[in-house]
Amino acid sequence: MTGVELGMTAQVVLAAAAVAAAVLVPPRLRNVVAGTFAAAVGASGVVTGAAALTDHSGSLELSTALPLTGVALDPTPLGGFVMLVAGAVGAVAAVFAIGYAHGPAASRTSWVALPAFLVSMQLVPAAADAVSFLLMWELMALASTVLVLTEHRDREEVRSAALWYAAMTHLSFGLLLLGFTVLAAEGGGTGFDAMSAVDPKSLQASIAFVLLIAGFATKAGAVPFHVWLPRAHPAAPSHVSAVMSAAMVKMGVYGALLVAFRLLPDGPAWWGFVVVALGAVSATYGILQASVTSDLKRLLAYSTTENIGLMFLALGTAMLLRSHDVSAPADAALVACLLLLTSHAAFKTALFLGAGAVLHATGERDLDRMGGLAARMPVTHVAFALGALGAAALPLSVGFVAEWTLLQSLIHGARPDDRLVAAMMPISVAVVALTAGLALLTFVKAYGIAFLARPRSSGAAGAREATPGMRAAMLVAAVAVIGLGLVPGPLADLAGRAAGVADPGSGAAVDLPGIAGGVLDPVAVTVVAALLAAPVGVVTLAAARRRRRRRVDLAWGCGGARISPRMQYTATSYAEPLARVFDDAVRPERDVVVTHYSESRYLVERVQFRQRLDEVVETRLYQPVLRAGDRVGAAARRLQNGSIHRYLGYSFVALVAVLVVVAL
Amino acid sequence: MASETFAQLVGLSTGVLLLSGVLLVWRRSLHAQVALLATQGVALAVLVLVLGLHESDAELLAVAALVLVLKAVVLPLILVRTVARLGVGVREETPVINTTASLIALSMLTMLAYLVSRPLLTLGDGPTTTAVPVGIALVLYGMLLLATRRHAVSQLLGFLVLDNGIATVAFLIAGGVPLVVELGVSLDVLLVVLILQVLTSRIRTEFGEADLDDLSELRD
Repeated sequence: MTGVELGMTAQVVLAAAAVAAAVLVPPRLRNVVAGTFAAAVGASGVVTGAAALTDHSGSLELSTALPLTGVALDPTPLGGFVMLVAGAVGAVAAVFAIGYAHGPAASRTSWVALPAFLVSMQLVPAAADAVSFLLMWELMALASTVLVLTEHRDREEVRSAALWYAAMTHLSFGLLLLGFTVLAAEGGGTGFDAMSAVDPKSLQASIAFVLLIAGFATKAGAVPFHVWLPRAHPAAPSHVSAVMSAAMVKMGVYGALLVAFRLLPDGPAWWGFVVVALGAVSATYGILQASVTSDLKRLLAYSTTENIGLMFLALGTAMLLRSHDVSAPADAALVACLLLLTSHAAFKTALFLGAGAVLHATGERDLDRMGGLAARMPVTHVAFALGALGAAALPLSVGFVAEWTLLQSLIHGARPDDRLVAAMMPISVAVVALTAGLALLTFVKAYGIAFLARPRSSGAAGAREATPGMRAAMLVAAVAVIGLGLVPGPLADLAGRAAGVADPGSGAAVDLPGIAGGVLDPVAVTVVAALLAAPVGVVTLAAARRRRRRRVDLAWGCGGARISPRMQYTATSYAEPLARVFDDAVRPERDVVVTHYSESRYLVERVQFRQRLDEVVETRLYQPVLRAGDRVGAAARRLQNGSIHRYLGYSFVALVAVLVVVAL
Repeated sequence: MASETFAQLVGLSTGVLLLSGVLLVWRRSLHAQVALLATQGVALAVLVLVLGLHESDAELLAVAALVLVLKAVVLPLILVRTVARLGVGVREETPVINTTASLIALSMLTMLAYLVSRPLLTLGDGPTTTAVPVGIALVLYGMLLLATRRHAVSQLLGFLVLDNGIATVAFLIAGGVPLVVELGVSLDVLLVVLILQVLTSRIRTEFGEADLDDLSELRD
């Protein structure tokens, strides 16, 4: 038995043990025991993924798991890479959940669903045929729906969120089923190897490609299929949001990679354009919505859409450049896609777990009611700050490495002899630059408003630091953000191996083969930056020592200070200029009500400000479609008017019709 | 039994089955309809008896007795009691389509029954095979009654005609079903009729009428 086989068996066995523990262990110990097993499921995913990545051998056939075909698991290096990332996220989130889960999230149902979710998610990238893939995919969807529903008793919006999620995830499943069916019919088998025999230039291949990419984009949360993300993430418990956002949506990206590079490689050039456009729109729209929202988890959900967009952008660029035989930048784009996937997994885990710790401590999700948490929750503060660093793609974080690689491939991918590609690359660079800038603003807002200044509500004022287990989980994720950012070489090597391209790592640095100047050594960058910054620091220190310490107070404060925390910037006011600049895209609905004193119209008693952000995609696309669906439904209800005779008549007419057809 | 007599008897009993079916659709008085149903039951029992005598099968004879008791005596009696409880001279007042149209529909359905059973007729040319369309026609008549009659008891009648049709086809094609199955089916029918009878009286006490059009509230 090879390591891969052993690892996959271990995952299934450990998941079964975790489920058994969740059912059997008394509530007092449930969190610890079930959580440990769930973390072990994740850890075994990491080991299996690493084994599949280093020596690709070993497969698992569970012939009794499904009638007729059985389940075939045979992870490729790419599958191993994704499994590794998903397993790591799962393990960290499970450790966090031990301290975090309380109330309904610590219930038996919830603890049963979590390991089932983790194991099915880790086995999705291991599937070797469409049937096994779809089985794992559906198990993953089912378990995650249960987890989203966790707090359905306490909060009304959870139910509607779960409904949206279930509907969208089924849309995704339906599209995938159709796409795989087309491929299976054309290729003569449900195995991925049989499907890859389909001619990518045929019409059927294009139909299957569009269906599959739409299905995977739905799961990944790309625009316009992203509507479930900002609903489901705030509704789910934070450790579940972390797994869903950092790992589950990546299965959509993995699926797109599977289609583009294993099932239907070398497709027509327009496929690449479609994927690039999908990615560019998602990235811009996602970060724009994230920058103006003030609900922390909603903000993180929109940021997920942005990052998924960047991944699709990288993937589409790789497809486009491959179809024009520009192989070095294409390889770099592919590696960038996997680096983005990993970096997003790392920083989004840190951010969602941090948001969970904040929610746990303050009971608040609204940034406008947080503040001053840095002093009250120092460890959470550090973890969140490092995660925000990664999300803003600033140097020293792994997010920077990933976006740098993407930009390298875009810049070196411009091909003057194909005008469309030559135009596409600069536009993509602009999109990446815009999203990077907006991401910086967004995460300065998320971090600054939540953790700095003074508390804006009593919940924030009374916040306590998270338990040691939760702190450890957050720190692990945060250290991954910085560690992988400082020493990205091994990660780039793994990504290169998963993508099947030449080694893009050299020692600690990233060195993109075939690209001039494509070397990034963050340690060297850090040292140089520190040397450059040293004079500034020295001068500042010297100046501070020479001048005596002074205390400046308000000139006309009458000895008082600015006491009210309401005088501070809020998330809404910080994002106001952005909302103004992108007025047409964001469409904020503002409501200012001024109440005057009855004695004088010149004195204001109260000013009320309300702002609502409606999503354009939702109001323009989903609501009309849903209304049309409602109308069709209402029309169909006329068939069923309650008259028994009509019902009997239907079956009678149906019978007679069948008989007439038979008789003719 | 001589094959000539056998053919005559099979023809006679199936003819009575078909005729009583047509008359059931034509008559609107519930009393007359129940009487016709009893006639149909007798005809079915005779058919089974003839088949049993022809094939000298003791089990079929027992089934014939069972059919006679159930379909010619017990079920009509239950229906008579129900109708009597509803009052004297109860009629199916306003069927969904009127009698003339129903009779035209009947002729079409009969034609359809003969059309669809053409493949069956090629199986053999004995008197039993040629009579199979009658059974199918009865099934269609029963469904027509169910779909077009408003009175609860008429519905019950339609259901029983349908059941008679199925039984006729079974006896003509397969020479009947095993006694155990026949017993089960008979008990089933009896149970359904008893339940529907109770339901009818409940509807009547609740609404004062036994018109199914009053029951259109139960939907989503």
